[in-house]
Amino acid sequence: MPEITKPAPVKSPDLPKILMLGWEFPPVINGGLGVACHDLCIALSKYANVTMIIPKSNPDFVVKNLNLIGLNTIDAKTLRNIGFAGENYKKLNKVHYIDTHLNPYYNGKSAGNQPLDLKSQYLKSIQIGNETAEVFHIDDLYGGDVIEKVTVFGKLAAKLACSLDFDVIHAHDWMTMIAGMEIKAQTGKPLVMHIHSLEVDRGGPNSKGWVYQMEKHGMEYADVLMPVSHFTGKIIHDYYGIPMSKIHTCHNGIRPVVPFRGEKLFKEKMVLFVGRLTRQKGPEFFVDIAEKVLEYNQDVRFVMAGTGEYFNPLLERAAQKGIAHRFHLTGFLNLDKVRQLLSIADVYMMPSVSEPFGLSAVEAVQFGVPSVISKQSGVSEVLQGSLKFDYWDVNRAAQYVLALLNDEVLSEKIKEDAYKDLEHISWDNASQTVIAGYKKFNLIQDKVTS
Amino acid sequence: MPSVCFYFQVHQPFRIKRYSFFDIGKDHFYEDDEKNQVILDKVSEKCYLKTNRKMLDLINRHKGKFKISYSLSGTAIEQFEKYRPDVLESFKDLAKTGCVEFLSETYYHSLSFIFSKEEFRRQIEMHRAKIKEHFGQTPKIFRNTELIYNNELASVIEKMGFKGILCEGVDRLLKDRTPNYLYQPAGSLKIKTFLKNYSLSDDIAFRFSDRNWKEWPLQADTFASWVHQIAGNGEVLNLFMDYETFGEHQWEETGIFDFLDYLPKEIMSHSDFDFKTLSEAADSYKVRDIYDAPDFISWADAERDLSAWLSNPMEKEAAKRIYALEERVIKSENKDLIEVWGKLQTSDHFYYMCTKFWSDGDVHKYFSPYDSPYDAYIYYMNVLADFESTIDLFYKDKKEAKKLEKKSNL
Repeated sequence: MPEITKPAPVKSPDLPKILMLGWEFPPVINGGLGVACHDLCIALSKYANVTMIIPKSNPDFVVKNLNLIGLNTIDAKTLRNIGFAGENYKKLNKVHYIDTHLNPYYNGKSAGNQPLDLKSQYLKSIQIGNETAEVFHIDDLYGGDVIEKVTVFGKLAAKLACSLDFDVIHAHDWMTMIAGMEIKAQTGKPLVMHIHSLEVDRGGPNSKGWVYQMEKHGMEYADVLMPVSHFTGKIIHDYYGIPMSKIHTCHNGIRPVVPFRGEKLFKEKMVLFVGRLTRQKGPEFFVDIAEKVLEYNQDVRFVMAGTGEYFNPLLERAAQKGIAHRFHLTGFLNLDKVRQLLSIADVYMMPSVSEPFGLSAVEAVQFGVPSVISKQSGVSEVLQGSLKFDYWDVNRAAQYVLALLNDEVLSEKIKEDAYKDLEHISWDNASQTVIAGYKKFNLIQDKVTS
Repeated sequence: MPSVCFYFQVHQPFRIKRYSFFDIGKDHFYEDDEKNQVILDKVSEKCYLKTNRKMLDLINRHKGKFKISYSLSGTAIEQFEKYRPDVLESFKDLAKTGCVEFLSETYYHSLSFIFSKEEFRRQIEMHRAKIKEHFGQTPKIFRNTELIYNNELASVIEKMGFKGILCEGVDRLLKDRTPNYLYQPAGSLKIKTFLKNYSLSDDIAFRFSDRNWKEWPLQADTFASWVHQIAGNGEVLNLFMDYETFGEHQWEETGIFDFLDYLPKEIMSHSDFDFKTLSEAADSYKVRDIYDAPDFISWADAERDLSAWLSNPMEKEAAKRIYALEERVIKSENKDLIEVWGKLQTSDHFYYMCTKFWSDGDVHKYFSPYDSPYDAYIYYMNVLADFESTIDLFYKDKKEAKKLEKKSNL
């Protein structure tokens, strides 16, 4: 868990000032994005003053060295400005608030001083003394009218940004792209987009809906794109037509863990899949691989941890192939349960169709589990110690699983090599790469971070 | 009067195909025929034919004063026989000039000395016969695979009647002495050791086309002037390199053939310098000091030891398994089994399994026909599993044949 301490301390004025725009953030998380944003921010705060604007924050959740602004909260200073001195709000001194009347159309730097006229189901009025203020209010991040949510978020964040001092705008994924573009238009500050996942990954190459259009427009408008892998960088180029010269890859890091080995309550070897059961993760290939392996070695159990719309079809597919007695779907598991599985797994399998990074494979490495991963993943670029296949190449994947199960020399060697890779996979490395990217594209002065 | 000794290594392995787990028991042909042919064709066109033509021209032009030595592995010769007889003919033309010496090595370019002295000797004999057959020479000088060497090897080779042996001039063993003399291996009496001058050899083999090198572009007269500097402090300058340096590793566009064209003339422009084959040099010069190599050394990678083939557990396991088959294979007296076993010993198979990723790994990757060292290992071990069961089958059949024989005798 993140460290919870007192609010952001005074930082060196020499450090570059980064305005981050995030969507998911602990404790409100949905997938890996929130954790990745959080860990990157923490690591980056060593090299920069980071302010992070998110839709929802929890006043109890304070992150060391990070100025975290949830648009659902109200700023004490603003409260004082509007003449309210209620004792209850004294404790909140790093929380921000947006003027009641919001103008949806930005017009240069003066926009910050103008009232904003915006109506939305996601704005909620709150009464402060005699004044009314409106704050951003959403129950969950992705439900309802998500397009309106991200639009309102963008307007509010842009309004708020006018009162902040920063050198670089750093947005994460399409949910914050409107915000990033609005802020760039208002302030003229350079816009970096960190790409953790794209519509083309999630929905396949034919996804050309609103989100795709949003991503394309946003990435064209951005100054620099920071995908989490060369694989994603190539998708940005191939499917969105963005020149490679704008792309600066920043591989993800990972939090260190203290691994443990658990005790297996069955004698068979175990091959593990962890992830959402959706098209993107290639779960049906896992069933096919299992079938092929079981043809040659019956002493193996295949376990899928996760849930998704493929759950029932996968169950049926396994039954149809007559391998249900060796095939287990666990449903959704929390982190502790996933780790327990990692602690008894013999092979980790990731047949993803399009995986921008694939942190779960690195988690497997942390637990000393040799991995078989698709080449269509970012993590395959940083894990030398792994066996790689094209996600459709079931025979090859099955061959790798069999080799790892039959040959201890090979599995030990891969484990050992993967441990070496682990030394290079850290959030500190990732944040240094981000800073190097700022410098490479002249977004910040070189001297300030020396 | 110092002599320059050129020795070129010519080697091609029989690469094995992407032999999957599912092929075991079904497919008993392991070679990647197509890839072997494609690579040999490519190297023949880019290097062997062109360079041989150039060498022949230089020998004729300098009226026999330009001399060189080659070592052709048995597997390379077999591939010439099979795919490119024209290349083999061009080597024969060189042999006829009398200015070219062919050295001895293990037929399969193997690591056999490390694992089995008997197999090692068997392969040297095989190779000797092959060289005699094609070039009419009996090799007098030995070079082991990738210049793998130690005192014991020199002693074994001396006992086999060779008068010289090649070796890397390793700094830590030379201890400030020059490689440009003949040395006596510690523990041997008569045999002479030729030490590779790696600095000058690598100027041609590795640095020649490096645009970041301060000497780029290297001209023949500049290089000759470095050679001439050994006058007074050296007798034998050993320039040892892969023959593929010419046209393959250093492309024709780098000017390597022009460099080669002028080099003999430039070197002999100093009247004290000449060229000798390795046997001539062994006959002409005395040993000046002792070269003591208790541990294995080689010319490979930055480490110059065995780590290019035998540093990780996969390489060790694969090598252990293939040599463990020796007795059963040899005793079978089955030509096919023995031949397959020999080809599986070729050091390249282990070289592809090398995982020294972050430094020399690049070179290994360049030569490897596979996606990763793990693949190299997995395919090799699959092949081995099939080969082992083939041997089992052979003995089972033999037993049953004997039973049948007994029955019919009754």
